[in-house]
Amino acid sequence: MSGMAAHPTAEPGALARRGALHGRPRPVVIVGLAVLLLCVLGFLSLMYGAVSLSPTEVWSGLTSDSDLFARNVVWKIRYPRLIDGMIVGAALAVSGSLLQGVTRNPLADPTILGMTAAAGLASAIVIVINPQVPQWGITVSCVGGGLVGAGLLFFIAWRGAVSPVRLALAGVALSAFFGAVIVALLSSSRTFLQTSLGFLAGGLYGSEWREFDAALPYVVPGLAIAFLLSGRLNALALGDDVAAGLGVLTDRTRLAILAVCGVLTAAAVSIAGLVSFVGLVCPHLARFTVGSDNRYLVPVSALYGALLVTAADLVARLVIAPSEIPMGIFTAAVGAPFLLYLVKFRG
Amino acid sequence: MKLTVQDLCLGYAGRRVIKHVSLEIDAGEMVAIVGPNGSGKSTLLRGMSRLQKPESGRVLLGETDIRSLSSREVARLLAILPQSPDGGSDLTVRELTWRGRYPHQGILQRATKPDYEAVEWAMHAADVTAFAERPLVSLSGGERQRAWIALALAQQPKVLLLDEPTSFLDIAHQVEVMDLLRKLNREGMTVVTVLHDLVLAGRHADRVIAIRDGQVEFDGPPREVFEARALERVFRVPMMVLQDPETGLPIPLPSAGSRCD
Repeated sequence: MSGMAAHPTAEPGALARRGALHGRPRPVVIVGLAVLLLCVLGFLSLMYGAVSLSPTEVWSGLTSDSDLFARNVVWKIRYPRLIDGMIVGAALAVSGSLLQGVTRNPLADPTILGMTAAAGLASAIVIVINPQVPQWGITVSCVGGGLVGAGLLFFIAWRGAVSPVRLALAGVALSAFFGAVIVALLSSSRTFLQTSLGFLAGGLYGSEWREFDAALPYVVPGLAIAFLLSGRLNALALGDDVAAGLGVLTDRTRLAILAVCGVLTAAAVSIAGLVSFVGLVCPHLARFTVGSDNRYLVPVSALYGALLVTAADLVARLVIAPSEIPMGIFTAAVGAPFLLYLVKFRG
Repeated sequence: MKLTVQDLCLGYAGRRVIKHVSLEIDAGEMVAIVGPNGSGKSTLLRGMSRLQKPESGRVLLGETDIRSLSSREVARLLAILPQSPDGGSDLTVRELTWRGRYPHQGILQRATKPDYEAVEWAMHAADVTAFAERPLVSLSGGERQRAWIALALAQQPKVLLLDEPTSFLDIAHQVEVMDLLRKLNREGMTVVTVLHDLVLAGRHADRVIAIRDGQVEFDGPPREVFEARALERVFRVPMMVLQDPETGLPIPLPSAGSRCD
């Protein structure tokens, strides 16, 4: 992202003005800083972990085979893990921003609406049936689960037309239900129990190129479609009748958005398990920076999601190094207080 | 642009609300739709604007069935302002107005010169330029209603439909909104508005259509159709019609007898 100037500026001056109006730094500056911070944290997470590497070692590990140890640590373990984390963060945050828009509910996110649990349940079932299932199988089952979750949500909320309130209520119920089934499976299956903590809390332990390769075919089109749909989300935010009057097919758009959210969430779950709070917090951070135009909000959410997960994973690896804590604990530990701060002081 | 309703039936979940209504609204007319609560006037407006699918019958925009147009094409010709829209309260007036350009913009297209011009024109016409940078939540009811009208105008519609644009407004703001609609109408826009207030309808519309139980009860210029007996049939309350001494236009009122029974 090369700054907001590269985006179509359909509401000209809106961003700069918003900054001036509320005495905040300009969004371009904040977004630029976020990109910079992501690069710095990214590089730090290549340097630190169970063993520490110098910047030169990281660089040679990234670019050549000359130092085999550095090559192994950086290229086979830390770099793919970093990329996996950024994908997870971006996918969850974009999913959250779309869901908050489509339900017109600031509390919506893939976890609360049951998509995370639906994808997690599908993968849990597949793993219980066949513990040796290859990664692509897990990803496919997650995507299947995510789509089923999205479809159920839409089906239950649809009664002639879909109401945002019914969507939110149905999501909460589905989330609780799928979550309960996951825990039931988990407590009755010994094989599952071994990997369950990282899965339930959400973590990037041991994730590598395999997860990346399996998730990428879903994440890239998912993000692309999300960005394309963000203009319609702007219309939906004005209410159904206004949106329809502007030429948006409201239910079809909602179904498409839910499906995209299901796929993106599933891709994230297939890599990192049930990571919470990224999808809830990042859209609020983005709204705080660039306002409520979804054409900016969605991509900026993606950036913040990547940033939050990268930061959380770095902390998760360092706190009790050489051992580690599931990353999802830190996304919640950092995300929740920040959200509270926004709610209390930035209304 | 002309709007034609042919034998239109509309309903919700099996309950028929609009029954075989046919209307011809000519280009450049200023029409008020009146009727009691639940008579189906808002539903009729929704049917005319493609927000609601007809059970039978059709609506023509110009000579074309609106069902055969894409929803974006319809939105470029016809704008509808629903009753008290509640979204977008954190947007500024300018941002809200820009969203009216949605049907004209491609998915990844940058804002074009016509977009800028349309937004400037819409904000100017709706007289919201003075508070363009303020968020909707900070505006008075009349200002907010004008901001929503600016959104509809940014679509550059040939036909403008409004559902009770004056509800919850004080008298000055009511007159302000109606004067604005009249001005747009004089500039060539076809305006159809659902109104509760019969005085406003008599004063500002060329033609009043009364709906009762999903059917047209009367239809014509207010001077001709605003007559006590006809109004009583529509609203089921004793009515009288005064005459505005300045304009000669009819002023319908519930008659004193209605208070006694």
